[in-house]
Amino acid sequence: MDDAARLGILRRALLARRFEERIIQLSMAGELPATLHPGAGHELAQLAALAALRPDDPMLYGHRGTAYWIARDLPLERILCDIAGKEGGTNRGKGGVMHVVDPTRGILGESGTLGGNFVVGVGVALADRLQGRDAVTIVFFGDGTSNRGQFHEALNFAAVKKLPCLFFCENNGWAVSVSARVSTAVENIATRAVGYGMPGVVVDGRDVEAVYDATLRAAERARRGEGPTLIEAKVERLLGHFLGDPQPYRSAAEIEALRRRDPLAAYVSDLRGRGQLDDAGLAALERELGELIDAAVASARSQPLAAVDSARENVYAT
Amino acid sequence: MSARTLSYGAAIREALEEELRRDPSVILYGEDVAVYGGIFGVLGGLGEQFGERVFDTPIAENLIVGMAVGAALRGLRPVAELQFADFVLCAADELFLKAGAWRYAHDGAVRLPLVVRTASGGYGFGPEHSQCPEAYAMHTPGLRVAVPSTAADAKGLLKTAVRCDDPVIVFEHKLLYPVEGPVPEGDYTTPFGRAQLRRRGDAVTIVAWQDMLRRALAAADELAAEGIEVEILDPVTLNPFDWETLLDSVRRTGACLVVEEAFRTLGVGAEIGARLMEEAFGDLDRPFVRLAIPDVPVPTAQHLVESLVPDARAIATAVRELVG
Repeated sequence: MDDAARLGILRRALLARRFEERIIQLSMAGELPATLHPGAGHELAQLAALAALRPDDPMLYGHRGTAYWIARDLPLERILCDIAGKEGGTNRGKGGVMHVVDPTRGILGESGTLGGNFVVGVGVALADRLQGRDAVTIVFFGDGTSNRGQFHEALNFAAVKKLPCLFFCENNGWAVSVSARVSTAVENIATRAVGYGMPGVVVDGRDVEAVYDATLRAAERARRGEGPTLIEAKVERLLGHFLGDPQPYRSAAEIEALRRRDPLAAYVSDLRGRGQLDDAGLAALERELGELIDAAVASARSQPLAAVDSARENVYAT
Repeated sequence: MSARTLSYGAAIREALEEELRRDPSVILYGEDVAVYGGIFGVLGGLGEQFGERVFDTPIAENLIVGMAVGAALRGLRPVAELQFADFVLCAADELFLKAGAWRYAHDGAVRLPLVVRTASGGYGFGPEHSQCPEAYAMHTPGLRVAVPSTAADAKGLLKTAVRCDDPVIVFEHKLLYPVEGPVPEGDYTTPFGRAQLRRRGDAVTIVAWQDMLRRALAAADELAAEGIEVEILDPVTLNPFDWETLLDSVRRTGACLVVEEAFRTLGVGAEIGARLMEEAFGDLDRPFVRLAIPDVPVPTAQHLVESLVPDARAIATAVRELVG
């Protein structure tokens, strides 16, 4: 990974964090519905994985935050409009923030019911294989979702067919309020890969280089026709499951300790240590991203609510 | 186009073979499809002819339908088989929530040209392998639902389904696979949403499809001997449903009987009855009537199944009571 790539990930991670903070602010103020599931703490792992893929490789994204789309340069105002149910989004209030879509950027969708991503993703990879495209599909999911039955059906068949598909687990140890300690029999989700005859890799989700390298190796392997890989990034969910989650399942001290371990802050320090970033550079970046977000909010505010008639449209193509 | 005789099953096989040959984006898969040729023996030889485009899957219905959604998103036209129609419930997430709703959720940014074929009805298979669950699919916006009753329609509707840009579920009836009928030569499609009047009459409009259509036709012969001429409407597809032809028929006959091989409560007949109340109340001279399976699971033994499923005699009796 070169310096430019590292800075690129920082820029996007910071943008995702600040954008999410703004969305939370607008949601708490009542201007936006509070439908986003915050991704704070997951951004670096998500962005490092996507940096290792091509900009149009198909993705079935997860529900934590906005970094998946920021990785593909989807304009922020489109995301805001999707949250707000406005014209100018990607789905005009039909799918909301759960179903942001842009096939030209490889943003194919997300299963609202957790686990659907696995089986849809296998179909995407199968289609690419049969049509001779050398794309690699990435399926994002959490440790909680790995307990769904589709995980088993999809990983088994992806390995049988040696499909170009990466299964990327963001393991934060929580399924809403249920700890992995009481829901999941294995410490590492990646150990389940053994049962599917595919490699399973555990990486520290705070370690951008490690996530990037693991994803790149898995993608190269997949493009060579050698099949899927299960990658597990250990991450921390800094916020609640949903906006306004009172988090009675973990203590205030625990939450505070998480904040002090914010991987984004650590990454900023790391880049400072490497001499790639200084105070002035960081301040300039923050300013620039703030302006980008301001502009997106202004643009979204100028959009009307999705036309009521559109609620009846696009059920069928025929 | 001249006609020859083919079985319903052979007509399905021919449709798939022709579509696989015509369009390289068509793929065909499911449990016991490629080597075995389908558990009902319908697909023999297709696995050998089309290589990796026809393949077997594990016993994994979520995968079978979910993979069709994913493949359709990327430009293929998958034809997936669910071995028994009851298995739509195993794959309910992928069928009802993905295939049915993803085009809408993404405001038309994607097309989902996929087909799910599945076998319904019959006896001897028990409560988890005998249902006719069309009503679930008909209830779900976004899914096209075909119910072919003849060999000609089995071929023509399947071809329409493969070429359709929306997800289509085709319910094939197990007892019809060996039944022969005239099938036109050459390439043809059967339009969705155009019901067929299988018999003309003025006494009662009977709505029936698949095995219930056969039974209704048998009852009609019996009734004709008594001077009662019924009209029999085969809906051909349940979504889109040809309400116009139904309403037109009911306006002429003034009475409607739905016969279905499914549970009575909230079945297809319930929807038809409700529509008639809304749109043809003034045209009905007699109360709307349904014959269906009482609300119990489908048993296994043939004689028990037959005691629950409407037969020709029950249909004839119901008509006599209606017109009497």
